[in-house]
Amino acid sequence: MPVDATASFARCSGQRRLGAAALALACLAGGVSATNYSLWINGRNGGGAVGNHLDFTYWGSGTANAGVNKRSVNWDGYNRISSTNGGIRDALDCYCTGENWCYVAAHSAGDLQIGYALSLYGGTTREIRNAIPGAGGVCGSTGGTQTGWNIKWVAVAAGAAGGSELANIGSWAVSDPLTSDLKTATARALYDHNQTRSAWFYMYAGAKGALYSSTLPGQDDEVVAYHSAGGVSGSSGASYCNPRDWFCNDLTLGAGANEGGRSKWSFHTVWFRDDGESHDHYTRRTWSGIVSRLRADMETYAQ
Amino acid sequence: MRPPRVLRWVALLLAAAAALLAWQWWAGGAAPDATGGAPNAAGPDGGSAADGRSGTSPAASAPATREQQLALWQQRYMRAEQVYNSYRDATRHPPGSRPIAAHPDQARPFDPVAQDEPMRDASGRPVSGVRLRTTQEKVFLGGGESAKFTVAAFDASGRPLPLVVHRAGARSLPDSRALITIVHADVPFNDSGTAPDDEAGDGQYSARLNPGAQGFAAHAGTIRLLVDVTAGGEPGVVAFDVVYVPEVAAEWAGVREALEDGSLNFYLGVRVKTPGRYVVAGRVQDADGVPFALLQFNDTVEAGTAEFKLSLAGVLVHDKQPRFPLRLVDVEGFLLRPDTFPDRVMLPRLHGEVHVSRRYDAARFSNEEWRSEERTRYLAEYRRDVQQALAQLERLRQR
Repeated sequence: MPVDATASFARCSGQRRLGAAALALACLAGGVSATNYSLWINGRNGGGAVGNHLDFTYWGSGTANAGVNKRSVNWDGYNRISSTNGGIRDALDCYCTGENWCYVAAHSAGDLQIGYALSLYGGTTREIRNAIPGAGGVCGSTGGTQTGWNIKWVAVAAGAAGGSELANIGSWAVSDPLTSDLKTATARALYDHNQTRSAWFYMYAGAKGALYSSTLPGQDDEVVAYHSAGGVSGSSGASYCNPRDWFCNDLTLGAGANEGGRSKWSFHTVWFRDDGESHDHYTRRTWSGIVSRLRADMETYAQ
Repeated sequence: MRPPRVLRWVALLLAAAAALLAWQWWAGGAAPDATGGAPNAAGPDGGSAADGRSGTSPAASAPATREQQLALWQQRYMRAEQVYNSYRDATRHPPGSRPIAAHPDQARPFDPVAQDEPMRDASGRPVSGVRLRTTQEKVFLGGGESAKFTVAAFDASGRPLPLVVHRAGARSLPDSRALITIVHADVPFNDSGTAPDDEAGDGQYSARLNPGAQGFAAHAGTIRLLVDVTAGGEPGVVAFDVVYVPEVAAEWAGVREALEDGSLNFYLGVRVKTPGRYVVAGRVQDADGVPFALLQFNDTVEAGTAEFKLSLAGVLVHDKQPRFPLRLVDVEGFLLRPDTFPDRVMLPRLHGEVHVSRRYDAARFSNEEWRSEERTRYLAEYRRDVQQALAQLERLRQR
C-alpha cells in the first residue's frame, strides 16, 4: 500500500533539521521518509493473517478510511498476551521508530497488548526499522536505535485491560489460553496500567449489552463492563453506569475520578461513553459495534 | 448488574420515581451518546481539569464547508494542545520516579485482590440471592512463596449468610495443548481461627496455598484453586487462578542510599542467579507515613552481585516537599521473560519498611526537569502537531 503523500509532505514540512532547499529536495525525492501510521491491534479470536499488516479481515473492509496509512497488527487472539506480545512490538518497531510516528487503535484484548508493551517495554532500546515488513511482519533495520517508540496517542474501543467477568466464570472456551489472561484479577495484575510512557489512552465504552447483564457489573457491551472499557483503576472490577442509571456510580467522561471516587488509570480518558446504549462489542468484520465510533475518530484525528 | 437499594428506600422513592419517569418519557428522545472526555491539560499530577464536552464526534466524512473545516481543525488543535501540555507537565519527572498519585492503584501493592460477585453453581449459573466476597493475596508467585485466599457469603442486601466449605483443591492447569502432568493438592479452608484464618466463627473461611511445598515444585504455569461451598443453603463453586514459577532468579542482599547529582538513589542489592531484564517497583513515604512517590527500575542485569537502582528524582522532592527521613516501603520485582508464558519469575516481596533514609536539606536536591532524548523527541513532535493545527486554523480564518 503506497504511503499517503499528504501525510508525508506534512511530516516533511515539519522537519527543521535540514536547510530549506535541502529539505524540499529531500522530500520531493522521498529521501526523508517521515510518515505517520495508524496501527490497529485486534482482540480475542483474531482473524487477520499474523504478520500481514494489510489484512484487515478482523475489522472489515480494507478500503475503509481508518486513519492515515493504516496497518493491521494481527495477532492470533488465542494465546497469552505475554507469548504473543512480540508481534505487537515488532509492528511498533516497524512503523513507530526513527522519523515515523504512530496513532494506535486497539479493540478488546488489543488494549492489554498495547498496555503490556508500553508498560514493560516502552522504555527499552528499540531498533529503528524501515516500515517495510517481511513475510513475518518484521521490518528491516536501519542500523540505529532509540528509547521506546513514537506514539502520538492510543485509542481503545471496548478495552479489556481490566479483564472481563465472563473470563472469571469461564464463559468462553476453556482451552483458550487468552481467557486466563482476561480474568479481571490477572489482567489488572499483569502490568502497571498507569505506565503508558505518558501517551494518552482515549477510551470508547459501549453499553449495548443485555445477554450477560447478570455477570458483567454495571453497563457493558456484552463482553466487557464499563470498569474495563473506561479504564477504571484498581485490582478488581466494579459497577459503573451511565448518568441515567440512578443506582450505580457513573463512569465519568474525561480523565477524572469516577462517581464514588475511584480513579481511572493515569493517561486514560473516557472519550466516548455510550449513553444511548447503542454500541456493542463486536466488529462483525464490518467495522461495527463500538469500533465504528473509534474508526470515525481515527479518520478525523489520525492524520 | 445494578445493585438495588435497601427496600425501604425503594419503597419511599417509588412514587417520585414514577412521576419522574413519566416526565422523561413525555419529554421524549433517547439520551444522546456522550462524547468528548478531554484529558486534563496538565496531566494526572494536578493542574486545571479540562472541561468534558458532550455531543457527537466530528463528522467522519470530509468536511465540505469552511465552517465544518474550522470545527474539524479546532478539534484537532484542542487535542494536539492537550496532548502536548499534559506530556510536558507529566514528564517533568522521569518515568521511573513518579508521584504516587499518578499510579493510583499502585500505592498498596500487597493489598489482597478483593472481588464481590454472584455465587455460581458448578455449571456457571448464578445462584439467586447469594453473593460471595473473596480475596486472594497474590496473582503471581514464585519459589517458596505462598498465597492466602478467603471466602465469605452474603445475601443481596449485604447480610452475612451461613457458609460451609466442603472441599477445596488446587490443580495445575494446562496452558497449551501440550500434555502435562496434572498435579493436585488439597487446600483446606477453615473458619476456626487456625492460621491463616484471622478470626474464628466470623463467617470468613481462609486457606493458604504453598505451591512449592504442595507438589507443584516442578510446575511452571497456572494453578487453579476450586472451592466447593454451600451458602444460604445453595451449592456453589469458587475458582481462583495463580501463576506460579518455582524458580528463584535472584535474592535480595541489602539496601544502601546515595545522594547523587541532586537525586536520592536507593540501591537494592541482589545476588542475581539468572541474568535478564528485571522490573522492580518501590514506594516512598515521607516521615509521617504518607506515600508520595513510586519508583521503578526496568533494565537488564548480569548474573552475580548487582544493584537495582530506584531513583527518587530531585525535581520530585522539590515538587512534593516531603518531610525527612523518607521510608522506602513495599518493594516488588520480577525477572521478565519475553515472548513466553509464564513471563515472570517473582522475587520475594519486601513488605513494609525496607529502608529509612538519612535527613537531607532540600537545597541539595536538583530542581531540573527530566532531560532525555525521548522527551525531547516527543515534545518536538507534539509541538509540531500543535503548530500544524494552528497554521490550518489561521489559513481557514483568513479565507
